[in-house]
Amino acid sequence: MAKWLTLKTFGAVCLSLTLAGASTVALAAVGNVLDTASMETTLASEKLLTDVAHAGKRIVAVGERGHIIYSDDNGKQWTQASVPVSMLLTAVYFPTPTQGWAVGHSGVILHTGDAGATWTKQLDGRQEAKMVISQLEQQMTDMQAQEANAPESKKRALQDSLENLKFSLEDAKSDEKVGPWKPLLDVWFRDAKYGFAIGAYGLIFHTDDGGQTWHNWADHVPNPDGYHLNAIAQVKGGALFIAGEAGTVYLSTDDGMTWSSVKSPYGGSFFGALGTGNVNEVLAFGLRGHVFRSDDLGKSWKAVPVDADATLNSGVADGKGRIVLVGNDGSVLVSSDAGQTFRSHVRADREALLSAVLLNNDNLLLVGEQGTELAGPDGTGKPM
Amino acid sequence: MSNPKHDKGEHYLLTPKAEPFLERLIFNNRVLILVFFLFLTLFLGYNAVKIQPNASFERMIPLKHPYIVNMLKHRGDLDNLGNFIRVAVGVKDGDIFTKSYMDTLKHINDDIFYLKGVNRSGLKSLWTPNIRWLEVTEQGFQGGTVIPDGYNGSPHSLEQLRQNVLRSPEGIRLVADNFKSSIIYAPLYEKDPQTGAKLSYSELSKRLDQIRAKYEKQNPNIEIHIIGFAKLVGDLIAGIQYVALFAVITILLTGVFLFWYSRCVAGTMIPLLTSIIAVIWQLGILHLLGYGLDPYSVLVPFLVFAIGISHAVQVVNAMALESAKGFDPLTSARLAFRQLYIPGVVALLSDAIGFLTLLFIEIDVIKDLAVAAGIGVAVIIITNLVLHPLVMSYIGISKSGVRHVQNHDEKVDRKWRLMSFFSHPGVAPISLLIALLGLGIGMYYKQDLKIGDLERGAPELRQNSVYNQDNAYIIKNYSTSADILVVMVETPKQQCTSYPVLHAMDALQWKLENTKGVDSTTSLANISKLVTKALNEGNFKWYELSPNQGVINSSLREVPSGLINTDCSLTPLIVFLKDHKAETLNRVVKVAEAFAQKNNNDQYKFVLGAGNAGVEAATNQVIAKAKDLMLFFVYAVVSCLCLITFRSIRATICVIVPLALTSVLCEALMAQLHIGIKVATLPVIALGVGIGVDYGIYIYTKLEKFLLEGKTLQDAYFETLRSTGRAVTFTGITLALGVVTWIWSPIKFQADMGILLFFMFLWNMIGAIWLLPALARFLLRPDRMVAKARAAAAKS
Repeated sequence: MAKWLTLKTFGAVCLSLTLAGASTVALAAVGNVLDTASMETTLASEKLLTDVAHAGKRIVAVGERGHIIYSDDNGKQWTQASVPVSMLLTAVYFPTPTQGWAVGHSGVILHTGDAGATWTKQLDGRQEAKMVISQLEQQMTDMQAQEANAPESKKRALQDSLENLKFSLEDAKSDEKVGPWKPLLDVWFRDAKYGFAIGAYGLIFHTDDGGQTWHNWADHVPNPDGYHLNAIAQVKGGALFIAGEAGTVYLSTDDGMTWSSVKSPYGGSFFGALGTGNVNEVLAFGLRGHVFRSDDLGKSWKAVPVDADATLNSGVADGKGRIVLVGNDGSVLVSSDAGQTFRSHVRADREALLSAVLLNNDNLLLVGEQGTELAGPDGTGKPM
Repeated sequence: MSNPKHDKGEHYLLTPKAEPFLERLIFNNRVLILVFFLFLTLFLGYNAVKIQPNASFERMIPLKHPYIVNMLKHRGDLDNLGNFIRVAVGVKDGDIFTKSYMDTLKHINDDIFYLKGVNRSGLKSLWTPNIRWLEVTEQGFQGGTVIPDGYNGSPHSLEQLRQNVLRSPEGIRLVADNFKSSIIYAPLYEKDPQTGAKLSYSELSKRLDQIRAKYEKQNPNIEIHIIGFAKLVGDLIAGIQYVALFAVITILLTGVFLFWYSRCVAGTMIPLLTSIIAVIWQLGILHLLGYGLDPYSVLVPFLVFAIGISHAVQVVNAMALESAKGFDPLTSARLAFRQLYIPGVVALLSDAIGFLTLLFIEIDVIKDLAVAAGIGVAVIIITNLVLHPLVMSYIGISKSGVRHVQNHDEKVDRKWRLMSFFSHPGVAPISLLIALLGLGIGMYYKQDLKIGDLERGAPELRQNSVYNQDNAYIIKNYSTSADILVVMVETPKQQCTSYPVLHAMDALQWKLENTKGVDSTTSLANISKLVTKALNEGNFKWYELSPNQGVINSSLREVPSGLINTDCSLTPLIVFLKDHKAETLNRVVKVAEAFAQKNNNDQYKFVLGAGNAGVEAATNQVIAKAKDLMLFFVYAVVSCLCLITFRSIRATICVIVPLALTSVLCEALMAQLHIGIKVATLPVIALGVGIGVDYGIYIYTKLEKFLLEGKTLQDAYFETLRSTGRAVTFTGITLALGVVTWIWSPIKFQADMGILLFFMFLWNMIGAIWLLPALARFLLRPDRMVAKARAAAAKS
């Protein structure tokens, strides 16, 4: 018996030693995505990437789980950047070769000053919620004051508006309780100081000091239904467009200080807006392969006939007439006449494409559902 | 061992004339005992016939391992997850979008729909109405079945079909990456929901094979591949049926060999008969104790038969030698009994106890194997050490048999003389050096020895089996894996879809996907992301878990069955592995366990592990833990028995060292043949040692006898070889023959067991004949042995 016991104990000791060895694998606890740095991985360039941009010669792409990767050899090899957050990032923009911004879920805004190698968080949904609430509260105080001094005839309308504001405030407060969940969907900067971030349910924020302070810009955009703002783009001549859910299009001709609603040619959602390279010319595109073109700052639109019905997500123009739009199901549309006509291509893997940049020899770097992909000028073959 | 009262303290070998009490008891009541044995055989034979094959999944897994405990606890919740069949219908030429293919597919789909055991509402194929395409439009969603309305096989409707498949996420998953085959997915009911009857895997498997044969014949451009647990078990059961054939071959081979050895009909038939009786008794007792025969313990009757024969051969050999001296059958039988019953009982006891060490392994099939083998060996003590000499005492060895021994003896004396040089002072050191070298080589090569299954596909079957080829086909053509680990996530009721749970699952999934050996993972978290994306007009910028519970809830309104249990307190995280090698499993479960240890809280608990990989990981852990313990006990037991019998540490070393060398070489062989230590092969290690010790015991017993008679070591060894060397070599060969047919078993683990036992039986024999005398040269002191024995005799 004694022998048995000792042996069993010996076995148990051995086993627990092995287990102790096993448990030294270090793992981070499951933290909030806003406070958890993106994990180092070799898979970032094969997983969902949502946007890609040039930072000078460098190419920077963003995607799920806080992945930001960059390449200095035109997309052959990628390095993962150091990122303090780990949610899906949705857009990236570099106004200068070194200064860049990326936005994503939970309202996060990230900034880099070294061309995308390291990133810091400038703003997130928690602060945004407070900004929204304080702005609504300010509006309420203003309106209550107005109402108190208003003539009887106007009181009724003001009371209604006040009621609406109250509801909005309640919503905003309950959102704050839920925690930050609304995604930002696109970002644009005029220069290293001045830019906008837009997103779901009408989110729009503005900075003019390189992101040190951000301002809630929602009251500058006439979006009473709170439609998603999907894409922001500048066209040649300086005008800014925002394209959004259910065909909404907004125009600003004063660098985004004021926005006006543009009469939309389409009831479905737009996911992208793109200057063609010609003055005041813009393309808006989105659901089920719909592409519209305006050459008068959105006063009139023409449907561009396209032989494809996959949703278009994003586009890129070289300013000389060549335009590439990419979309779901491996859809690549190529125009050589500034978007008057497109030739449609479908990649064999039919994976969704989310964004693209142009390389030498008209080659393309595509990003999407399965990471990065180098492709020829029509998006399908091997690069030339 | 021997009865002290009749021994009178004398060394048993020094008084060959004495009649032990046992011998008198048996040989004075021959008729009575034979009649009793006859009735016993009839009774046990009646029971043996009723023994049932039995391939219960639960008996093959370590039920007490926490993974398995967790798995069984949640079995009801996860039921649909594991039990399904996948039928890939492929085309040889062209692609699947042809009228002829789609027609055949429809017929096969219908046939499978009507199969007993198929959960019809869960059936999925291009022809089932639950495979739909979906498209986001300006107004919302638009969709339909992938088979277009008004499908008529025309090129137009086939083109329509192709388009529909491409925009159906489920449809595209049913179609091979190269569009040359499509899947019919059929979940199964373990129990018939109406009758409650258990699903017959072998029946289902047969029906599926019929469907395969029928349509491959009907449409020569079609090939059908079927996988799934039910098919695997069906194939296993079909494989067991070869056992009968193996049994016949084994008996025939042994018979031929016996006759060649004994040149005596009785000397051939009686050993066969008594050994078969041993098998009958063993099976009868097993049935009386409530056991069945599973694919592992079905090996035991072969072992029992072989062990029986090997002991019977000793009897035949001894009788022939005595008869050659001129004794009558009865006297020869008594003398043979007297010589053999002690080494026989010791050898068989060490076999039996060796087998019983298998009880350390907490896996029921292995325990069953231990019990079955233990019973079988115990039975042999009666049938082959008692019944056999009794029967032979009536019949005797035929004249030709006796003559054969005499002739043979003279002819081969030279050979034995030559072999006796193994104990020569000049040869022995060389032998030891070679043994040391062999040990070194074995130690070196056994470093590659792995725990668990090492090959791709279903480990139970051979690589080139139909099932594994089907499996390889499906893995190659579909983005799928056959090796699945399920991490179960337990939550409070109605909390299994909460954001913290999904977020934690997502975090673990990402860690796992970054672990070598993991192909992909899936869980509610993926589904939530995917549906959230879909609900946002298919925009990938929404492919994220929303911290807003409302968004999650709407994304999980319709969830595939098996991913949420009825009260939403459990959800599985499914890990698809690249293979099921032990190191892969280890690496992956380590990551999951560390994550669970760090993060489990009252909102969620991650527990391992279901799925075939979970079961295998648990089995590997149990085996790794049991292996050394078992080896230790096996050696402890046989050493103790040798010590008791020979009352000498030196003698024990002579017997045990060759065994240890064999064990090491066997492990090296396993490593080189890519056979891992697993449920099937671990018992072999114990069996090999337990049975292998017999040779040493027989040889040493004789050697000691001749040494005590005052012969020099080499002379004594020569006499040993002359008297029992033949029997020992023959034993090695019969034992090896008893299992060699297994190498051709369609069941991989039976083949592995066959190869290893074959090797161990032969090599243990070589070890006993070649290495034992060399060791004896260094360890034994014949003078002192004789003096000691004399002193003992004088004292009494």
